[in-house]
Amino acid sequence: MAAACTSRTRQMMGLLRILRNFSQNERLLSTSVLRHNVASDGPPKFTPPSKPVIIDKTQKEASLRRFLSPEFIPPRQRTNPVKFSIERKDMIQRRKVLNIPEFYAGSILAVTMTDPHVNGNMNRFIGICIQRSGKGLGATFILRNVVDGQGVEICYELYSPRMRKIEVLKLEKRLDDNLMYLRDALPEYSTFNFDMQPVHYEITGDVPVNLLKVKMRPKPWSKRWERPKFNIKGIHFDLCLTPEMMEHAQKWAEPWRPYDMLKEYDTSSLEEHIFKEVQENLRK
Amino acid sequence: MRLTLQALISHGRVGRRIGLGPESRINMLRNILTGLVRHERIETTRARADEVRFYAEKLLGYAKKGDTNEKSMKMADFWLTEKDLIPKLFKVLAVRFENQTGGCTRMARIPNRENLDRAAMAVLEYKGNPFPPLFPMKRVSELNLLNQLLKAYGEEKARMVSEKKDLRSLITVFVHFISCNKPVCAHSLRWKNHDKAF
Repeated sequence: MAAACTSRTRQMMGLLRILRNFSQNERLLSTSVLRHNVASDGPPKFTPPSKPVIIDKTQKEASLRRFLSPEFIPPRQRTNPVKFSIERKDMIQRRKVLNIPEFYAGSILAVTMTDPHVNGNMNRFIGICIQRSGKGLGATFILRNVVDGQGVEICYELYSPRMRKIEVLKLEKRLDDNLMYLRDALPEYSTFNFDMQPVHYEITGDVPVNLLKVKMRPKPWSKRWERPKFNIKGIHFDLCLTPEMMEHAQKWAEPWRPYDMLKEYDTSSLEEHIFKEVQENLRK
Repeated sequence: MRLTLQALISHGRVGRRIGLGPESRINMLRNILTGLVRHERIETTRARADEVRFYAEKLLGYAKKGDTNEKSMKMADFWLTEKDLIPKLFKVLAVRFENQTGGCTRMARIPNRENLDRAAMAVLEYKGNPFPPLFPMKRVSELNLLNQLLKAYGEEKARMVSEKKDLRSLITVFVHFISCNKPVCAHSLRWKNHDKAF
């Protein structure tokens, strides 16, 4: 009993000392303020510390690369534009929390996602982005890599709440927008080391284009990539196809396609408008 | 053969299936469009007229961009099979519809074709053509007997209504005079009161 009393008094003395020193010891200021508040109203409100704002004064805004993520551009549909504006608001809100960098099909990304079946709850995957599809909040991208001789493709949703980090290890473009032909290419073109270090890239100027022409496995392929419908420039056709086969593939060329006004979708004015909106809201 | 639902369901698809296939469709529409640019008023089936309408307006849009625009020239070269119509497109039609954004064509439906197929027909024209109008303008003349009688009736009715109003105001003055039972001078009678009486 006496020991409890003495310990109690010791605690009180300690508290008194702390309280006396609170004006000098600013680290305890917050706790004392909180304790002061407990008496007045309910549980203390957590005010997060202000995030550091990095203003890069070395580059002028005009020289920075203008990039609008393709999922912001609404498709040509008979839906109310209100739906797209609401979706854009949600997308911008998510982007304020998670940094989604600029990347293209052909860039190498490392994605960290939460996974309940893993010990540390996080799951990291590195791969080359072969396709970016989907508009709005359901926008996805597919990463491809070859793990232990087995080709693996994972389709990630950009705005999924499970996404923790998206890092661009190497930012570059390829000759096509869609690199699905890597499935039929030699595996060396899809293997990337999991310990790869990020490569420095410029934020001004044009994105570097990799003019690599990929060598393919022998036919049959999953799709007939030589047909003009796919319009692929990144395959080395001379090594795998004869000129007769190339000519035969040209039978499926539709020469009226570029003149068909029904299939045109001019998004330049839309893009500018949306780009300004997104920049404004992200800065807020 | 891949039997997908995509091939069977056509929700939201644009562009009708005309002719033997996509190439045949474009060729047919090209011929009709060339005829339209040459004659400015043509008669075809309803489906073809509807398809050509879209392409006609888009072609005008390209023509408005100007002669020097490479893409416009390529488009005109592709769509007009008779090459003597290309200057007509750029110099006559584009100038005519300079200030209009849309609505440069008009489609009117016609009784079915007399053949065995009884196809639904339509007439497609560029507005501002020299021919007599498709839909006759309805002009209402005031010098008809019926219109004159109606006008007179209207005037008489208005006169009756104004007479009734004067009578009413007279009655209110009279009623007021009787109730007050004293000589009423003109200026004390406020015209506002005659509403309150009734």
